[in-house]
Amino acid sequence: MVNYSDDPKWADITPIPQDDGGPHPLAAIAYSDEYSEAMGYLRAVMAKEEHSERVLDLTEHIIEMNPAHYTVWLYRAKTLKELNFDLKTEIEWLNPAALKHLKNYQIWHHRQTIISQLNDPAGETDFIDTMLGPDSKNYHVWSYRQWLVKQFGLWKGEEGQKELDWVDGMIGDDVRNNSAWNHRWFVVFGCGEENIRDEAIVNREMGYAKAAIHKAPQNQSPWNYLHGIIRGSKTALSSLKDFALQFASLENPDDVHSSHALDLLAMIYAQDEDTKEKARQAFDLLANKYDPVRKPYWNYRKETLVN
Amino acid sequence: MSASSSAATSQAQSQTQSQTSRASSRLEDILAEPPSPRIETLDSEEEEYEDVMEDPIPAQSQSPSLESQFSGLKLFDIPIHDTLETETSIVQEETLDTILPYLEGNPNKFDLNSHGIPHLQRKKHVKFLEIALGEYPAQFAAMDASRPWLLYWSLQGLTALGEDVSAYRERIVYTFQSCQHPTGGFGGGHGQLPHLAGSYASILSLVIVGTPLAYTSIHRRAMWHYLGHMKQPSGGFTMAANGEEDIRGAFCAMVILSLLNLPLELPSDAPARKKGMTGFLDGLGEWIGRCQSYEGGISAAPGNEAHGAYAFCGLACLCILGAPATTLPKYLDMDLLIHWLSSRQCAPEGGYNGRTNKLVDGCYSHWIGSCWSLVEAAVSGKKKEQMRSLWDRNALARYILSAAQSKKGGLIDKPGKRPDAYHTCYNLAGLSAVQNRYYYDAEEEEDGGVKISDEDGEKGEMTTTLDASFKWKVELGKGVGKERVWDDEDQVNVVHPVFIVPWGQAEKCRQYFEENPGF
Repeated sequence: MVNYSDDPKWADITPIPQDDGGPHPLAAIAYSDEYSEAMGYLRAVMAKEEHSERVLDLTEHIIEMNPAHYTVWLYRAKTLKELNFDLKTEIEWLNPAALKHLKNYQIWHHRQTIISQLNDPAGETDFIDTMLGPDSKNYHVWSYRQWLVKQFGLWKGEEGQKELDWVDGMIGDDVRNNSAWNHRWFVVFGCGEENIRDEAIVNREMGYAKAAIHKAPQNQSPWNYLHGIIRGSKTALSSLKDFALQFASLENPDDVHSSHALDLLAMIYAQDEDTKEKARQAFDLLANKYDPVRKPYWNYRKETLVN
Repeated sequence: MSASSSAATSQAQSQTQSQTSRASSRLEDILAEPPSPRIETLDSEEEEYEDVMEDPIPAQSQSPSLESQFSGLKLFDIPIHDTLETETSIVQEETLDTILPYLEGNPNKFDLNSHGIPHLQRKKHVKFLEIALGEYPAQFAAMDASRPWLLYWSLQGLTALGEDVSAYRERIVYTFQSCQHPTGGFGGGHGQLPHLAGSYASILSLVIVGTPLAYTSIHRRAMWHYLGHMKQPSGGFTMAANGEEDIRGAFCAMVILSLLNLPLELPSDAPARKKGMTGFLDGLGEWIGRCQSYEGGISAAPGNEAHGAYAFCGLACLCILGAPATTLPKYLDMDLLIHWLSSRQCAPEGGYNGRTNKLVDGCYSHWIGSCWSLVEAAVSGKKKEQMRSLWDRNALARYILSAAQSKKGGLIDKPGKRPDAYHTCYNLAGLSAVQNRYYYDAEEEEDGGVKISDEDGEKGEMTTTLDASFKWKVELGKGVGKERVWDDEDQVNVVHPVFIVPWGQAEKCRQYFEENPGF
């Protein structure tokens, strides 16, 4: 156990003891002596705004005991900056900690602060790969990757192609991984306006989504992606009619392979006065047979068809 | 506004058992900050866990009498099933195998209501939350920064169950005093830096207490300065100084400004003023609009994946800015939003997931269920008779009562998971969204939302008008008509749809600070 009170290095500091609030605090934690002492010294150095090497040691010690402590992370980040500390060393220290505490907000934000100051993303994408191994939909990891792509322009040129190949691999591993689809959107359309106006890119991405739909027609991720492209590029919805008919048609109401195809057909039929009745049929089929948990929603859509 | 009906509950007998707290906190990747790890060391939890897992319940094993009781509640068929196997579909199938026995039978052997669904296990949940408010052993140090959350979830859960929490009043105020930072805002505990999540949980807890002592314990002027430091040139808010900027920040800041009746002008020391911002609301609606993803849901920050908890933060934030029928369509594509929200309801489970192709989880009973309260008000007519119903409330009620109640008390993510204060609070808030019908009383609406003065307010003349969220009305118990699947005794106390505190408490706090606006 690390002991501060007997350490001459810390002799000049008077720790500030814990106060949980009044004589009978609620949800109080019976801290270990080690944690309690370390926190007492942290409160004291924070009060005198000390930023030093020993503060780095102290914050490291507390983070080992409680990685979910945002105060310690923020104070450590500030200390690193004040000391002009070698940030590569910090990242090396951070890597095993991040793997141990996957769902921790602080670690990712700290990493973002450090990489931002280093102004160099080298090695980061490989590290993210490792992190997604045990949890391929981890929200923090994906959000961090999006920050990285944006911050360092990794959606453009050769880097952009590498990013696209990587996310293609993620979708290939699990075509239902919606986080990967969202990232693909971010890389292709989320960083600038130009790609959604580029017909070749729009066609390529629509083809990509359609191919994925063929693999598993009831998987909503590529359908949402397809709808996003249609909306963004202002392509006529009706251009998808033949595609949708491959998975559902009102002529064969017992042979529907995708409720999402039926939904799309309903949208297309709703656009034209002559086919409004068909839209109603599609909504009925969804409400009563293929997607009854959303019956109130399908009925709402039916009722709000503009006459 | 009328108060809620008070559910019949007796003041639970004081629990003198030893402090084997089983309120492990699982905050996951949602609103809470910071996430606490699940702590695996407590014996009572292991027992609980094994109990659930050991019950041998083949999928079709209910007794004939039970079967007939369940007959009116046929589970949804899932007629379309892709054959391609991926990690997502494998985990989904495994999860369904775990959940189905709880929807088709009664492995926990709970008392059933008149619809063949388990009753709300009120007393057990009360006991669980009382323990959650107690002392924690040293292994819980990881929750050191989350104590305000534990208090809020437990207090909100207890009041939803009809408990009177006034016995805790003074202890709550003292506990939060230790978290309040001299420069404004609340942190996770003594000496911790102020944080918007901690501030949010602290303010809501003090609103639940609802006494002048609780109100005046808040340093409002310091809070206003602290919030000023969180405002960003993008229009959004960070959670802490040099912390992450995400939609929780925007939501928490608006909740606090509105409840405490704080001025909407940025304080003169707010860094965002140097970037041309003058008010807290500058660019805010637009920033939230940028968080709507191509899927229609709302994400933590622009470009991220749409997520149920962030969706609620975004929608509730817009509902603080003005009437839902005005502010939601102004900044969001409503058709797309509703399509995405609707897609979150899982079949046959009936509960909600938080993202496309993710698993059902009891906490989204609130994060998505409460979105519906706001969205239904936005798309319906101005009269309560015109209220639309866009989702299957009974299906969610069944998931909560059948699959999200832990055998020994507390509510859960899904069968096999441990109860915690977080899932208890938000399953119960979801039940309030199911059971009641909220509507926005546009009659009280004067100018269609927020008024922002053109010039910087002079000292002493600053006013706020973030009062939209105090115009909600509720029809108690009218969530579903005669065909509902719960009994009167399964009803929870109604929760405010935006603030998630007991009905009437937000209004009371606001009124106090309208009468005492100075700081």
